Amino acid sequence: MTATGELAASVHIDAPPETVFPYFTDAELMVRWLGTTATLDPVPGGVFAVDVGDSAARGTYVSVDPVRSVVFTWGMPGSGTLPPGGTTVEVTLTPVDGGTLVTLIHRGLPPEHHPSHEEGWRTFLSKLTSAAAITSGKPAATNPG
Amino acid sequence: MPEPAEKAASDTTPEAPSADAVFKALADPHRRQILHLVQLSALPAGQIAAQFEMTQQAVSLHLAVLKKAGLLTEFRDGTRRLYQLRPEALRPARAVLDEFWPDALARLKQAVETDHPTGGDPRP
Repeated sequence: MTATGELAASVHIDAPPETVFPYFTDAELMVRWLGTTATLDPVPGGVFAVDVGDSAARGTYVSVDPVRSVVFTWGMPGSGTLPPGGTTVEVTLTPVDGGTLVTLIHRGLPPEHHPSHEEGWRTFLSKLTSAAAITSGKPAATNPG
Repeated sequence: MPEPAEKAASDTTPEAPSADAVFKALADPHRRQILHLVQLSALPAGQIAAQFEMTQQAVSLHLAVLKKAGLLTEFRDGTRRLYQLRPEALRPARAVLDEFWPDALARLKQAVETDHPTGGDPRP
């Protein structure tokens, strides 16, 4: 367990890195798996913005190394507690057996046990809420009225 | 510390509230702010309400939602009721947060393999 919050995840995809990579840089492909609206400018310093309902992930691309890795920052400006750039997501694509091993590390998350740390809690609570909205993938009520 | 008696009448969750209930409770900025206020020390409802422009009744409703989700402990001090954050209630929610990227990557896998059904046919 790390003192500085860090989450890691990986998946093996049955397609080569050339196929997988655009799903991290092309807005249309991004929303196939994350969020409902995305604005992406995949150059260092370019915008990374993904929306789900009233939850928003905002950041900038830190580095874009086609078909090998992509790094972007991740924040929740709507919460007012986790500024864009507050945490970093690092994605690495490794060719394996004709497919791709996608490894993702999200760094800079609040530590797991810091109930006494005010800002950590606020950040954590905000993050939980945003994660819930994004994970559930539920569209906002399609109630035009 | 004695556990406050569980008095959720119609609720069928005698143990930990579900992560879903926690998320629903957290999905409101006022309620997150309330948790923020009571994370270190217990406060009476009136003192919590004083921090908001809402009516005390609206604050009471928020407190009820938080209590039902297990996020607040209620103490009694004479005639006053005090509320304090119950951090252990965040555990199931933390577990869901831990699942955020694995879930997202699972959807990525599904999307890529649906869009490129021949992707798994490596050339010799």
